[in-house]
Amino acid sequence: MIETVLSLLEVSIWSGIAAVGFAILFNIPKKAIITVFLLAFGAGFIKFILLGFHSNIILASLTAASFVGLASMPLAHRIHLPPVVFAIPAVIPMIPGYFAYETVLSIMSFIFIEVDISKKTILMQAIFSNGFTMLFILISLTIGVSLPLLLLRKSTVKKIN
Amino acid sequence: MNTSKSLEEIADLLLKIASLLMLSGANTERVNLSITRFASVLDCEVFNLTSQKTIILTITDNKTKNSFTRVQNLPPHKIDFSIISAISKASWNAISRQWNFNEISKKIEDIQKQKRYPRYIVLIAVSFSGAGFCNIFGGDYLNMLVAFISTLAGLFVLQFTHKKQFNGYISVFLASLTASMIASTGMFYNLGANPEATLATSILFLVPGVALINSFTDLLDKNVLNGMVRFVHGVMTVLSIALGLFLAMLIFQIK
Repeated sequence: MIETVLSLLEVSIWSGIAAVGFAILFNIPKKAIITVFLLAFGAGFIKFILLGFHSNIILASLTAASFVGLASMPLAHRIHLPPVVFAIPAVIPMIPGYFAYETVLSIMSFIFIEVDISKKTILMQAIFSNGFTMLFILISLTIGVSLPLLLLRKSTVKKIN
Repeated sequence: MNTSKSLEEIADLLLKIASLLMLSGANTERVNLSITRFASVLDCEVFNLTSQKTIILTITDNKTKNSFTRVQNLPPHKIDFSIISAISKASWNAISRQWNFNEISKKIEDIQKQKRYPRYIVLIAVSFSGAGFCNIFGGDYLNMLVAFISTLAGLFVLQFTHKKQFNGYISVFLASLTASMIASTGMFYNLGANPEATLATSILFLVPGVALINSFTDLLDKNVLNGMVRFVHGVMTVLSIALGLFLAMLIFQIK
């Protein structure tokens, strides 16, 4: 039990570090760096707990991104920065790069390498399932990040108390 | 107070703000809202067409009803969230303190002069995120070291080719090739517990996350054209990443 929690914490901390790395690449203000780390840590924690309970990866990403979106609203008031500045780097570790890469690799071996028709069918399945998983994760990340504005029907969080 | 000349100056200022926001990776709705806010402070109304490479903007003086139109082309994009947050803060200050033209243009010039993080800090920070991704995908600490080194080399190549003004997709391809060659070396010598994780994560720093997220934000706001443009740009980048990776896997005969 304790071992599971520790490995969960380790993975979440590394998600936080990954998000901070991207935040520095995107040149965010210095005072937002700790916020990005905490948001990405929380999001990673939620996502990997849900994955541990065999939840679907799309639903897990949606829940984690919604946490980032909702938590970024009070934080934006506290550190006086627009929420996108720390919400986008915090969800970057959840970008489905792995699925994108699997999709394109399957497409390339479908075209260049495989000649056997039964193996081509397997590759076809891989292209579709990975490609659509990637699309749906991207959409759920976007919805999660913009959730407060979508729910409250406002174009800025500045006037929401 | 607004003569025709100052209307031209206002149009230039608003175009500068809009292009700064667009280049720094703001979504289209934010660009439109920001310049509408600045225009309302200067007692003008603004109508604009914002795209990835061009901005067309017409401003109308609320008192005299004179109008002025200007088109501007945009240089290549470079994501910078400090500029986005500084302009957002400036727009709220401009409204609450009723800034005049000179105060706004001075503030925008200050924002343009903001410095980025030094290059070596960016290199090290992004390499740590490469190692972090490797941990997330189940690599052990030896795999993470290889991922760190391949990300470092890949990002170095990316920055170098950007400086030499290569085509963006070519430089992503070269960076992806470099990173995956180093990761494949780790796989060739079977370093660590899970060398596949290193190969899969060594190229993740190139994935165009902001472009892909912004594309769907734009689509949600019904800015369909910009959303599609950003999505296609993201897909093209993923294709060039995959091409580099594919070449490295062919060279090392990895299945």
